[in-house]
Amino acid sequence: MRITLKVWRQSGPAKAGTLVEYAADNVSADMSFLEMLDLVNEGLIARGEDPIAFDSDCREGICGACGFLIDGLPHGPVRGSTVCQLHMRSFSDGDTLVLEPWRAKAFPLVKDLVVDRSAFDRIIQAGGYTSINVGGARDANSILIGKDTVEQAMDSAACIACGACVAACKNASAALFTAAKITHLSLLPQGQVERYTRVVRMVDRHDDEGFGSCSNEGECEAVCPKEIPITNIARMNREYLKATLMRGR
Amino acid sequence: MSSFRRVFTSSVGTKLLIGLTGLALFAYLILHLAGNLLIFFGQETFNEYSHKLISNPLVVPVEIGLLLIFLLHVYKAIINWMGNQAARPVRYEKTEWAGHKSRKSVSSVTMIWTGLMTLLFVVVHLKQFRFGAWYEIGSPPIRDLYRTETELFTAPAWVAVYVLCVILVGFHLRHGISSAFQSIGADHPVYTKRLVVWGTAFAILIGGGFAIIPIWVYLTR
Repeated sequence: MRITLKVWRQSGPAKAGTLVEYAADNVSADMSFLEMLDLVNEGLIARGEDPIAFDSDCREGICGACGFLIDGLPHGPVRGSTVCQLHMRSFSDGDTLVLEPWRAKAFPLVKDLVVDRSAFDRIIQAGGYTSINVGGARDANSILIGKDTVEQAMDSAACIACGACVAACKNASAALFTAAKITHLSLLPQGQVERYTRVVRMVDRHDDEGFGSCSNEGECEAVCPKEIPITNIARMNREYLKATLMRGR
Repeated sequence: MSSFRRVFTSSVGTKLLIGLTGLALFAYLILHLAGNLLIFFGQETFNEYSHKLISNPLVVPVEIGLLLIFLLHVYKAIINWMGNQAARPVRYEKTEWAGHKSRKSVSSVTMIWTGLMTLLFVVVHLKQFRFGAWYEIGSPPIRDLYRTETELFTAPAWVAVYVLCVILVGFHLRHGISSAFQSIGADHPVYTKRLVVWGTAFAILIGGGFAIIPIWVYLTR
């Protein structure tokens, strides 16, 4: 396959960026999208040019490190997948693809397709934890939790914090990420102690980072590699309402 | 813990207020439409209804409350929109709608514009009806709102303006109704999906219901 890439190249946060065209030749349909980029980068390095910077780690779709827009869609056109688990067979020979980094005030650009997502870490630090004294490992079933609750909490916990929700949202809102973390912990008994302080602190931190608000369109849900539904956001709103009305602040 | 004021300025709190005020305005629109449809029962019925309404001592306090709800909705929505614009200072070169389960629609991306058009329309509409031409009929005399309305809608330009504006209101409701429920935290495995369908149905009923009136008046006068 031969693919033409138009990649956002920007050497640093304060530098000007632009789309630069590259030809990817001899692309196998079985390559992952990132392997295809590795191939392009090998060519660039051989020519003495600066390789395209992009994030990746596990390349198994579970770590959340990778991600950029392919033709205007975070993680590309395949549902429920990260770019590392997207394969070139999803494209056709001769395709031209535009690659851009996540765009958000809260995700400052580092280089090319790499953005700084530490805003997510700070949202977690604000309340995405449970204060439990850790000792020896406890028996896994010492706290009984209903099957449905476990499944629901796990569906939310599946969030890998890749940032695709922010990238897809017209308001660059991290509502889905924040809501998934709040939902996960508010459903489980271990999360009850900090349940109401958590939601307020995490939402406040979310806003302080410069993310927008939720317009309830659900673009985030549609691009989420873990297909986390926006019903999580409704739960976050409900938890927030309870936290502010019933407990004061 | 942050201050109490932050409850209403946070992203979630702002949307809660927009949702609650929006639902109140939606409820009002249903009552307004129900009242307006009485015009199909003729001049006498319509005027009697309008007289009962405006002679009620509670009408002014309710109007003031409604105005405050409306202004709060507009104010928070504009502030919210500006904040959201600032959240993505650098635009994408290429964007696509995600499709699939997304509810993004022409209606959802134009909320601020259909909203601002509605604001303009409400000002004109209040001037033409609430504070419009005052005719009296019968003894004891009561306001002949029927005449005010039928006179206005003899002009095809006003018929067109009203029809267009209420269709825009319909578009606003198409996304607004289900979105408001989501904003105030309503989610249910079954009813949430139905909410989007019912929201669309109500948007068509309200937009269409209001649009029929000026057309009907124009055609029958």
